[in-house]
Amino acid sequence: MSYDDVEIEDMEWNEELQAYTYPCPCGDLFQITEDELRLGEEIARCPSCSLYITVVYNIEDFLGDSDQKNKNLDPPKQQPVAVA
Amino acid sequence: MEQNEKANRAIHDGEEVQKIWSWGAGTDGQLGTGKLEDELLPQLLHLPSLTSSGPISLLACGGAHVIALSSGGRVLTWGRGTSGQLGHGEMVNSLYPMPVTSLQDYFITHVSAGWSHSGFVSDSGCLFTCGDGSFGQLGHGEYRSHCSPVRVSYFLNEHVKQMACGMRHSLVLLEGSQVYAFGSGKRGQLGISMNRIKSVSLPEITHGLEDVKIISIAASGDHSAALSVDGHLYNWGRGFSGSPDSHFPQFSSSSFMFTRAALGWNHALALTGDAEVFMLGGNYHGVLGDLEKMRPANQLPDSREAILEKVAGLDGVKILQIAAGAEHSAVVTENGEIKTWGWGEHGQLGLGNICDQTSPQAVSLSGNTNRAASFKVYCGSGFTFAIMHPCDLS
Repeated sequence: MSYDDVEIEDMEWNEELQAYTYPCPCGDLFQITEDELRLGEEIARCPSCSLYITVVYNIEDFLGDSDQKNKNLDPPKQQPVAVA
Repeated sequence: MEQNEKANRAIHDGEEVQKIWSWGAGTDGQLGTGKLEDELLPQLLHLPSLTSSGPISLLACGGAHVIALSSGGRVLTWGRGTSGQLGHGEMVNSLYPMPVTSLQDYFITHVSAGWSHSGFVSDSGCLFTCGDGSFGQLGHGEYRSHCSPVRVSYFLNEHVKQMACGMRHSLVLLEGSQVYAFGSGKRGQLGISMNRIKSVSLPEITHGLEDVKIISIAASGDHSAALSVDGHLYNWGRGFSGSPDSHFPQFSSSSFMFTRAALGWNHALALTGDAEVFMLGGNYHGVLGDLEKMRPANQLPDSREAILEKVAGLDGVKILQIAAGAEHSAVVTENGEIKTWGWGEHGQLGLGNICDQTSPQAVSLSGNTNRAASFKVYCGSGFTFAIMHPCDLS
């Protein structure tokens, strides 16, 4: 059973790992690559433990031109939200 | 001169009698063992760089890093540093405790470690943060990371008392008892708006606590909590046991007076004035290895609010201290025993195996012979530290 459901927009793109990541309670990171997402994979695994999460995303965002990802899936630091 | 003698005596005491053990996930050097391995049993540490700063009065354990505060107001950090959370001026891991030299002109009185950021509070009420800033969790009005502590200028004219770092957010308690929040707010953990807020990078006041005298704050995962002087526990952020998220502090309906709160990623512990321990979200605790075993969520029938349940299996033994990791828990009993339960896959329970436990189990500390000592326990995401103090430092 999945540890959690996490929206892709809450995951962070990790340049070094070339994967979208999300914190795992063990201290490591749940990881899923763009290729996996393009294939419709929904499970992001942690390399250090048995836990995994279900990634909630729209597969169309990952099909086609790979530049597309930057349109909707920027890391949060590039989309600061101003609050009144 | 007198100060020097005092310092020397403190060093002597530190070397002679204060003992520190660590166990659990160790792949980023967070255990201070000098190795990058998990440890299933408590490891007695030999860390001259740590003890030379004098006795340790407080540890803060984060995702994979540790901040130690000495009784002389000095700060040392080790473990994962790839986001700058160690404050050493570079973004690298450290296997051993290293002083945060840029804070040496300050007497630090409080520290907090989040998933990948850190907070330091000085006796003069200054707040410094470093580490991952990509969600605004450093409070500097930007989304950059910092590898050396930077003073949070928003509080330049305020006296900060405490900081609590969660996964991607931060809480700050001022001397005047106001609570501020910044960082990621998607699950309501900032308590600043009814609307779903992605993130804020400057502190904003948490609503609903303005008329309450808050004495302590806690944050972990996407949860936030505060305790009032009259023993009321307030929670906000991600809901426990599948209950809805709270966008503002919710007062836990309970007749108990709470004196301490500790948060995990899916549970909360609260210690009562009668030294009993209660838990929120306990249906998840200790069954991660086999989630099919999860008990149905215990919720009040008329609302969808998770309820506080007394932790079973402590057999009436009084509890002096509580600590929560992401998915495990630890307590210190009046008999000086440390008990752990919850998720155990990385050895974070210190029981010599990788089993999960649904009720507290006694941890055996090697080399512990001092019966007059007092113990403190601290949990990081997937690891645990215990300190034996020769006498009560407070």
